[in-house]
Amino acid sequence: MNAPNGPVVELKEITKIYSQGEIDVHALNGLDLTIRRGEFVALCGPSGSGKTTALNLIGALDKPTSGEVWLEGERLSTLSRQQLSHLRRDRIGFVFQAFNLIPVLTAYENAESVLALQGCPATERRDRVMSLLTEVGLKGMEDRRPHELSGGQQQRVAIVRAIASEPAVVLADEPTANVDSETADKLIEIMAQLNQDRGITFIFSTHDTRVMERARRLIRLVDGRISSDSSTAAT
Amino acid sequence: MNVVKIAWRNVWRNKRRSGVTIAAMTLALLVEVLYSGLVVGYMDGMERDLLDLEIGDVQIHANDYLERPSIYSAIESPNALITQIEAQGFMAAPRQLAGALAAGEESSAGVALRGIVVELEAKVSSIGTAVAEGEWLDPNDPQGVVLGRRLARTLAVKPGDELVLLTQAYDGSMAHDLFSVRGILKGIADGTDRSAVLMTEGSFRQLMEFPEAAHQIIVRRPEGSDLDATAAVLRGIAPELDVKTWKELMPLVASMFESTRGMIVVIFLVVYLAIAILVLNAMLMAVFERVREFGILKAIGFGPFRVFGLIVIEAGIQTAVALVVGLLLALPGMWYLSRYGIDVGTLGGLSVMGLAMPPVWNGIYTLDTIAVPIFLLILIVLIAVLYPALKAALIEPVKAMHHQ
Repeated sequence: MNAPNGPVVELKEITKIYSQGEIDVHALNGLDLTIRRGEFVALCGPSGSGKTTALNLIGALDKPTSGEVWLEGERLSTLSRQQLSHLRRDRIGFVFQAFNLIPVLTAYENAESVLALQGCPATERRDRVMSLLTEVGLKGMEDRRPHELSGGQQQRVAIVRAIASEPAVVLADEPTANVDSETADKLIEIMAQLNQDRGITFIFSTHDTRVMERARRLIRLVDGRISSDSSTAAT
Repeated sequence: MNVVKIAWRNVWRNKRRSGVTIAAMTLALLVEVLYSGLVVGYMDGMERDLLDLEIGDVQIHANDYLERPSIYSAIESPNALITQIEAQGFMAAPRQLAGALAAGEESSAGVALRGIVVELEAKVSSIGTAVAEGEWLDPNDPQGVVLGRRLARTLAVKPGDELVLLTQAYDGSMAHDLFSVRGILKGIADGTDRSAVLMTEGSFRQLMEFPEAAHQIIVRRPEGSDLDATAAVLRGIAPELDVKTWKELMPLVASMFESTRGMIVVIFLVVYLAIAILVLNAMLMAVFERVREFGILKAIGFGPFRVFGLIVIEAGIQTAVALVVGLLLALPGMWYLSRYGIDVGTLGGLSVMGLAMPPVWNGIYTLDTIAVPIFLLILIVLIAVLYPALKAALIEPVKAMHHQ
């Protein structure tokens, strides 16, 4: 299961139905998807096509109505609430559209939070996080609270938080939606570089054409199904 | 991740709300600690006065005396029994009791005579220090008597006045003699206040033609020894006599002391209930305001137990601050109340269930009186925070992160 190019994520016949009053909304309709280690994948499609739902299911933040989600060979439906927390902590990194940093923690503390939860020793934590903060251009800003950082800087902290523990997969939900285009370019570059240098698997949900252009695999969702799945050469 | 650090910073995020919650807890703790010590001090004072001035820890009577008090139901050779009792480490003193008629210059009243051995009585009772006017009994003044406060008022006598006592002596003859009022007691208990005439044992025996016997032996135990165990030892020494603890002699008063102490806890709970509602409200607000944040925490790997712990620690920090501030604020109050107390002498010597209220209420502040309000505050906060903490712990991350 942990082979260099083995599957990291497998979704098998996933359906997800949300009840909105008396109306059932089918967010995913029998989705089958396999993502391999080291891929840089973008899920795209119109609003309501199921991109964010798919990311939530892969990230063990939500449960499918039917079907199975596998992460590194682990079937998520068999795990308890506590086990799912551990799985998210140890194997998944999240980058959200709204940055979602903890407001009472500094940039450094936010960035190290997942490592700290894993019980990583303080010295190792400091080395890894400071090195990554430097890599994303945040050296000298580690003691700032989120409200003292720009949107782009906050998103870079979120990226460091997501990758510091070297998870199996980083799930990025519209990571460039709330930043200006220059910052968005930088963020995409940082993530692409991390993918290339460290082999971290990235799965994006995005409307951003710049992300789609940099993705080496582009999966288009329509009405909760894959309408196209194309791979391109690395850029 | 250091959950305590996050909790600490979260507490001070909304300084006003946390400040109000802490202030309320502090005030409640302050009031409860001071009140608790005052009530305990008041009850202990009443109990101590009752035992010291009136009935002792244990009383020994002839078997039928308490049912049918009679001058003839007496304990023979009380001195030998007292020697045996003292050999067990207790203090004991005999009393002779009888009824009589007392007449002052203008009025008369039925009285209860109490003959005492002045030196021995001082070992079991501090009544000798409870003289409000005049002086205590003196073995060298056999005609001097000390009267209860209300009796003196009824007879309209004061120290130095003459008093005639009239009664039936042990041999059936009519006994009467002229005495002098040496002193008048302060308020002790209704019975003593209304009717007690205290005299030396020699005077009693001379007036009543009474043999070497006693109607009552008062026993005091060493500090900290068990009351029932004391009674058991005494029953072993005098199996043919009626040995009763003060609680058996005055069950209503004993039960009042117990129930009043229990009432403290009830009053604590009522005050703390208001605090619980405040804490519940504050913590629920804190949870609802941060639903999205809990979603993030859960997404990055916070488990439900850790989220639960975070909320409990936040409440714990506020409680800890309230405890420190509350106790610091209570210190001067505790010092003042234990040293000077509250003067209630202006209430004119009220009594509760026949026992005179102490003129000064002094607080007693021990580890127990302070620990109970602290423990109850912690308990009530823990109960109040359960629901918000569970609510936060069970939040579904995906719903929480989309919470507006």
